[in-house]
Amino acid sequence: MEEKINREKYKTLGYNVLTLFLFLAIWTLAYWLIKSPFFPSPLMVFNAFLELLIHGDIEDVKLGMHIQQSLWRIFGGFTAACILGIPLGLLMGLYGRVYDSTKVLIEPIRFIPPVAWIPLVIVLLVGYFRFVFIIWLGAFFPIFIGTLLSVRGVNPLHIEVPKSFGASRFYIIRNIVLPSVLPEVLTSMRVGLGIAWECIMAAEMIGGERVGIGIMILKYAQLIRMDAIIVGIIVIGIIGFGLNEIFIFVEKRIFRWKEVVSI
Amino acid sequence: MEKELIDVDLSMKFDSLSVLENIRFKVHENEFLVIVGPSGCGKTTMARLLAGLQKPTSGHVTMRGESISPKVHNISIVFQEPSCIPWRTLWDDITMGLVIKGVDQSAIKKRAKEVIKLVGLDGFEEYFPKQISGGMKQRVAIARAYATNPDLLLMDEPFGHLDAQTRYLMQIEIMRIWEKEKKTVVFITNNIEEAVYLATRIIVFSKLPARIKAEYRIELPRPRKLITPEFLGVRSEVTEQCEVVER
Repeated sequence: MEEKINREKYKTLGYNVLTLFLFLAIWTLAYWLIKSPFFPSPLMVFNAFLELLIHGDIEDVKLGMHIQQSLWRIFGGFTAACILGIPLGLLMGLYGRVYDSTKVLIEPIRFIPPVAWIPLVIVLLVGYFRFVFIIWLGAFFPIFIGTLLSVRGVNPLHIEVPKSFGASRFYIIRNIVLPSVLPEVLTSMRVGLGIAWECIMAAEMIGGERVGIGIMILKYAQLIRMDAIIVGIIVIGIIGFGLNEIFIFVEKRIFRWKEVVSI
Repeated sequence: MEKELIDVDLSMKFDSLSVLENIRFKVHENEFLVIVGPSGCGKTTMARLLAGLQKPTSGHVTMRGESISPKVHNISIVFQEPSCIPWRTLWDDITMGLVIKGVDQSAIKKRAKEVIKLVGLDGFEEYFPKQISGGMKQRVAIARAYATNPDLLLMDEPFGHLDAQTRYLMQIEIMRIWEKEKKTVVFITNNIEEAVYLATRIIVFSKLPARIKAEYRIELPRPRKLITPEFLGVRSEVTEQCEVVER
């Protein structure tokens, strides 16, 4: 049984390697056909990657620094979004009145894209907090709304069981509501993290700072250095993928009791 | 002598829809009272009212003279729908009522082991609901309800979702448990055979809005056989009182 699962795993891995290989082959083929100075080959991109990693960019900032800085900003904004979004979502899910009475403010803000706030943010905030604010805006609503809806989706029967034994409201929230919403909260965190990662690109492209993966892309965009730009793009993709995988791994570990784990 | 435990005298409306009209009956200690009625006649509402999960529009449900409430009285209910808590092991699920009622740890352990044995779930304590069958899930719900030694045990069509064979086995089992730990049971069903098999007394509800149509005392000897002429006689008598709903 175990052996069979392992074989499946290797098979999946094999197909993924093949997909990657095919992609690189098509890319190389396209490079030969297009023959444009603005269309780099995989090898040229790889060289640019090594260059950026070892020697740094045109301002001598190494790729690792860019990544580290961007991650640090994501961390700030995402943490803020979780700290505010989860309790607020729980509160408003449990007390529908609070949400219903503040809907007029919450719902319109939710539909303003974080990018629309950028001009305001440039004027009002400086440095680190600019990024934190933009990321917070992007990540907050999926986390908040996801949590709120998950509370409303708790199976009423699961609440009635302890209620029929005379359980307190506190007991029900702690032992039924919280464990019941946890998987969905984690899923909405995962969605929020994805959006945060998208937002940082927008935020960093405002300029003003020297370090950050979005800023690095912008620097090379001005030079029309496609190889370095593509390095930036790929790094964004891979880090996003990595963060998502970490979340899925954690979900699988925590929710052993679940019938299926969402992907 | 029969001691009166619960007094019901109520009417229930949802907005303008009248569900229960002038329902008046008493529940006596240690009796196995079965309420039968066609589907959708407000039987579940009756169960929720008896559990104190809902208040009647008018009238009352009292237990030993006091308005019924899960915070005051020791009531357990087995719901019609599967009610296992998916993230709890069977052990944690079955002990829930005991924990809520503040029973001390060693007593919880002792009692939980007892009821788990009673419903035949020993060995499955650390399983999650997703790992067990539908019949076992319902036994978990029964064990959980039994664990707190309730003064009133409510069962709202507890076997409705089970296949015929499991249902039959569960009926035998519930009878065995009831004979062992004489409890006051109010059992709700739409299955007349089940009612006659289990009950010491049957109350027949009419279709919506529900009124009490008839009441029977069942004095057939136990264990009852489903095919004796006496059993079939009582069964057809009750059946005549039950209306068949056409939808």
